[in-house]
Amino acid sequence: MKGLALLLLMLCSLACAEDVLYLYNWNNYISEQTAARFEAWCRCKLKQDYYSDNEEMLAKLEAGATGYDLLVPTGNAVETLIRKKELRPIDPKQLPHFGNLHPAYRDAWYDSGNRYSVPYAYTVTLLGYNATRLKELGLPTDTWALIFEPAYLKKLKGKVTVLNSQRELMAAALLYLGHPAQDTDPLHWQAARDLILRAKPYWAAFSNSTYIKDLAIGNIWVAHGYSNDMFRAREDAKAAHRPFSVEFRIPKEGAVLAVDNFVIHKASRRPDLAHRFIDFMLSGENAADVSNLIGAGNPNQAALPHIRPEVAGETAIFPNAADRQRLSMLRDLEPAQRRLMSRIWTEIKVR
Amino acid sequence: MKRGFLLWCAALATYAFLYLPLAVVVLFSFNDSELNAAWVGFTTHWYSRLLADEVLLQAAGNSLLIALVSSSIATVLGTMAGIAMHRWRLRLLPFLVLTPVAMPEILLGVSLLLFFRQVLDLTLGLFSILVAHITFSIGFVAIIVRARLAGMDESIFEAARDLGASPWRTFTRITLPLILPGIVAGYLMAFTLSIDDFVITFFVAGVGMSTLPLQIYSMIKVAVTPEINAISTLLMGLTLTLIGLASRFAPELWRSKS
Amino acid sequence: MRAFSFWPKGFLQCFLKGDRLTRWLVTLPPSLFLVIFFLLPSLIMVAASFREPGEFGGLAPLAERGLTLEAYRFLAEDIIYLWILAKSFLVAGLTTLFCLLLAFPVALLIARSPKRQRDFLVLLVILPFASNFLIRIYAWIMILGPMNLLYSPVAVILGMVYVHLPFMVLPLYTNLEKHDPALLEAAQDLGAGAWTRFWRITFPLSLPGVFSGAALVFIPVLGMFAVPELLGGTGDILIGNLIKEQFLDNRDWPLGASLSLGLTAAVLGVAALSAVLTRRRTGKLGAGT
Repeated sequence: MKGLALLLLMLCSLACAEDVLYLYNWNNYISEQTAARFEAWCRCKLKQDYYSDNEEMLAKLEAGATGYDLLVPTGNAVETLIRKKELRPIDPKQLPHFGNLHPAYRDAWYDSGNRYSVPYAYTVTLLGYNATRLKELGLPTDTWALIFEPAYLKKLKGKVTVLNSQRELMAAALLYLGHPAQDTDPLHWQAARDLILRAKPYWAAFSNSTYIKDLAIGNIWVAHGYSNDMFRAREDAKAAHRPFSVEFRIPKEGAVLAVDNFVIHKASRRPDLAHRFIDFMLSGENAADVSNLIGAGNPNQAALPHIRPEVAGETAIFPNAADRQRLSMLRDLEPAQRRLMSRIWTEIKVR
Repeated sequence: MKRGFLLWCAALATYAFLYLPLAVVVLFSFNDSELNAAWVGFTTHWYSRLLADEVLLQAAGNSLLIALVSSSIATVLGTMAGIAMHRWRLRLLPFLVLTPVAMPEILLGVSLLLFFRQVLDLTLGLFSILVAHITFSIGFVAIIVRARLAGMDESIFEAARDLGASPWRTFTRITLPLILPGIVAGYLMAFTLSIDDFVITFFVAGVGMSTLPLQIYSMIKVAVTPEINAISTLLMGLTLTLIGLASRFAPELWRSKS
Repeated sequence: MRAFSFWPKGFLQCFLKGDRLTRWLVTLPPSLFLVIFFLLPSLIMVAASFREPGEFGGLAPLAERGLTLEAYRFLAEDIIYLWILAKSFLVAGLTTLFCLLLAFPVALLIARSPKRQRDFLVLLVILPFASNFLIRIYAWIMILGPMNLLYSPVAVILGMVYVHLPFMVLPLYTNLEKHDPALLEAAQDLGAGAWTRFWRITFPLSLPGVFSGAALVFIPVLGMFAVPELLGGTGDILIGNLIKEQFLDNRDWPLGASLSLGLTAAVLGVAALSAVLTRRRTGKLGAGT
């Protein structure tokens, strides 16, 4: 009898205490193939919840979200999480593949010495466009004026979408006005708001994801969005043999670079698994997936040989040194600035 | 005669307005097309995909557990409140019981979020959802129980007391059996409210804990797929069965709602 | 209940003899629960609106930053918040109106049907209401999508009406059911036409039902955020969306709390108005409810 109970217990400890790694991640940021390969390799389960905005992720954590081992915040959110003492230091000894990272992406301003964060992938917020149409219309493709100047917008009425994200849209407007993307001067913000309100009547929608499909179908000719999404729109249009091509470029006024990092939450119950996951993702072959399948830029040098040439050669995905000069990262806002920004955003939407 | 005809037409239009959208949902749950736009062919594919969806099943399990526990506790507390409000002239209790029923749900959700995080420093999850659901269900149970008591003849209780029954005996032997249908109706009501609630749960659930409505919400937000139609159809079938049972055992359920 | 009989006899007797004691035993548990989990949180929300937002969200420590009217000052600074509140009232008003138009014929039909059919007809109104509220919104996403009406103010109002219609039908029916048919017959005998009878007798008598139904629709619509979020376009923001954004996107809890108090005040105003109107009507005409 006792033996049976013991056996049952052992069985249970095998089956019940299954190793699970909880990941709070961006939508569509780790391909299913990669996740499945990791699960097979570590003989554990990877469970993911998703967010579509850093602000959303931070707010949900503040509102009591717990139970995650790993998060994938952008640089500015990493800084906030570090100052908030929400993160667990990374143990470099458990990451033998750390050396694969390109030096340019180590030691970022938000986490010098990479004590808490390991870069995973990066994207640029830029303009995607229907190259065939814009050529017909004789419009430039390398400037934010395309979505802000009524002179151009007159030819594009109802064919433009912008991101439904207060920070990204304001950054684009600030850059076009000649201010830095992370500017916090209230007067500049007001000027940016007025610029946006002037252009808004010409826009079709504020959209965070549908522009991929709409660009590929041809409903939309210009979209403000992320480089990885534009990549997908271009692939989709190609695959569907559309009579036009989708292209994307970094505007000459500059753009926002978002470097997304793996960080371990301080309450993680499985830091061992979290480290194994990060190191797994650092190996060249696995790291290449996020570029090959999702079209994100890659801070991993060992991944480059595994990345398809048409992705690796795309300067809007892998900006060269000169382009990198024009890119800047956002910084998190103070409470009073957040309040003002939210009001400006409300005005933008309602007016 | 003509007027009666017009009335019928207008009423029929309203009934159609009520049922057509749901019929569309049910119909397209059997449609063999990912796009949900036009009828292609019959399939039960979406149902089998649903039953293989671990996350969804887990959420459904959570919903069921929360509904069972919260409606049980709410029924006990709500019955007490209903009896108290019927029996004595109270000031505070009616206010406490009726206000959460009348308030927009978002206010209760937000104030509970503040309370749990700022005062109790609680990790949101099962407990916070349970407490929130009990809070908004008590009022509904109390109202139904009180309505049942109000419709009863006081003289029975007096007769019992005159015959020497103790208050406790009067309660267990007379009051309780008489208001039992009301309590059952209240329980079912609380159960339905809990398993259905979206707004309040949305604020007090945190992220790790999911219920079926929360899961449906994120499915609708992320992508509109026929799986949502399938789960909707299943849920409608379930509530229909529950209502059928309820109206058989306690016809008060939907009469006292009005 | 038999299980209790093992208790010593005198024990329960001594507890339940005094009515006062029974009263406390019955009243205390629900009161205590609701004081802790309803009254206290509401008061805390009032207090939170006078605090400052924390650096990372939540509230700033009280000892460091103290109390402030900043959130209210900020709201008063820009007309946009008042404008959104006004818009919420407009949407709630339109929703109530359309609900009334749709609900009246149904309620009248039920009230004038033979007694046996009434319960069935009422059940028919409640049944769709028993399916999850998100599913009812989703149904309109499916219908309005191909019609190119999705993500518009029209879609928002449609969704609101659909979700709240039963709240209007039920009180109206309860009221109409109580009308004395003799009144209408008398009017007919005196030569009043169908329209006259409706406008001079049925409708005025039904006003208490109209008012309580209106309150039951108007108040929840005022605080709704899910319908505009799922069916509305970018500009379709109501006060509920604004509150939700402060807590779940913007990490500004004091501002969210003060907006919530604004909504509470609006709701109390509407409830009081409805109560006064209902009472006055009831007093004047002596009709049920």
